[in-house]
Amino acid sequence: MSITLKDFWERGQARLSLELVSGEDALDRVVEEKAINRPGLALTGFFQYFAQRRLQVFGLAEFTYLKSLDSKEREHRLREIFEKNIPGIVIARNRNPLPEFRVLAEEYSVPLFRTAMITSHFINESTLLIEELTAPRGRVQGTMLEIMGIGVLLQGKAGIGKSETALSLIERGYSLVADDVTEVVRDSRGKVVGYANELTRYHMEIRGVGIVHVPSLFGVASIRRESELDLVVELHPYKNDEQEERTGIKPDSIEVLGTKFPYYSLPVSPGRDMANIVEATALNHKLKTLGHDAAKELDEKVIGTFLRKAGV
Amino acid sequence: MGGEKKVVREFTVENKYGIHARPAALLVKAAGKYVSEILIGKKGSEVSAKSIMGLLTIEGHQGACLSVQVVGEDAEEAMAEIAELFEKNFFEE
Repeated sequence: MSITLKDFWERGQARLSLELVSGEDALDRVVEEKAINRPGLALTGFFQYFAQRRLQVFGLAEFTYLKSLDSKEREHRLREIFEKNIPGIVIARNRNPLPEFRVLAEEYSVPLFRTAMITSHFINESTLLIEELTAPRGRVQGTMLEIMGIGVLLQGKAGIGKSETALSLIERGYSLVADDVTEVVRDSRGKVVGYANELTRYHMEIRGVGIVHVPSLFGVASIRRESELDLVVELHPYKNDEQEERTGIKPDSIEVLGTKFPYYSLPVSPGRDMANIVEATALNHKLKTLGHDAAKELDEKVIGTFLRKAGV
Repeated sequence: MGGEKKVVREFTVENKYGIHARPAALLVKAAGKYVSEILIGKKGSEVSAKSIMGLLTIEGHQGACLSVQVVGEDAEEAMAEIAELFEKNFFEE
């Protein structure tokens, strides 16, 4: 995935202390590679492995080097870089762009930015920003909660009781991340993070009551801005012949944004306190991540006993 | 209504690991499909075949002889399915 300089400019303006010096009409240019490049070697005329698809940052070293050249040479070296069809240029430390920059940027219609940050900080921050902007995103149907540090996505057909189950869990002291629709983003480590739509964040709809504001009713501890996803739980109507999991030794999995998550399908029937069961599912999952798999351990114990009794 | 029927059979556990969690789950799933009451275990200590935790307590190790008793209107069908699981060694070695 790639981004345009327009995205970069709009989202990074404040965070990267950016200023657009020129090239507003060329902001639709695309940054094809996520990293930032310092064109030091290219300035000396060495273009092997020149990362021309990256944003180019001119720091103190590049600037001082350019200044050591006479105007004609400077223009020549810079032109060689501009000829490589680079997406854009950022000048660090709020330096005034040398006149050759302005002329060439205009000629090749390459946007020219300036930042108050020093080069190394700028590189770190803008790499993070570009990672965020290019991260795979999506939206899944389901209510997300954080239960003891476990991110749980609660799915199920309309009316099955997702919001009601979420409400019970919130009353027990766990936190709401998003009601009914959860936005998801995959970060560079492959972790999927869920969060709520900005507009409806922290609200939820309870049938018969209407829309409520969760932190107003249950306090600020009842909400989380975002949470890493750990497991998916689906509520479905109880059917006797359903092939549901009975031992929990090999849970199913489901993909969210290309990452696999354990998936538990929980039957709903009268008398089953779903909040309680979802809580137990989350806690049991946590136990598994700590290396205790109760189902497996019991099975091993049973098999061990049976093997002895069978005299094998 | 077919009325109450009672079917009793005995099986020997053949698979190496006996009725551990996976075979127990298979039995529970099979038993759950029928309305009949299904009891399984060694003589005198039978448990419901619809309870996974119960099945683990009957000590169905290799070589164990278990009696299965099915009572209800669909007893024959239930017994046939349970017998198949035993005969196929719960799809294990």
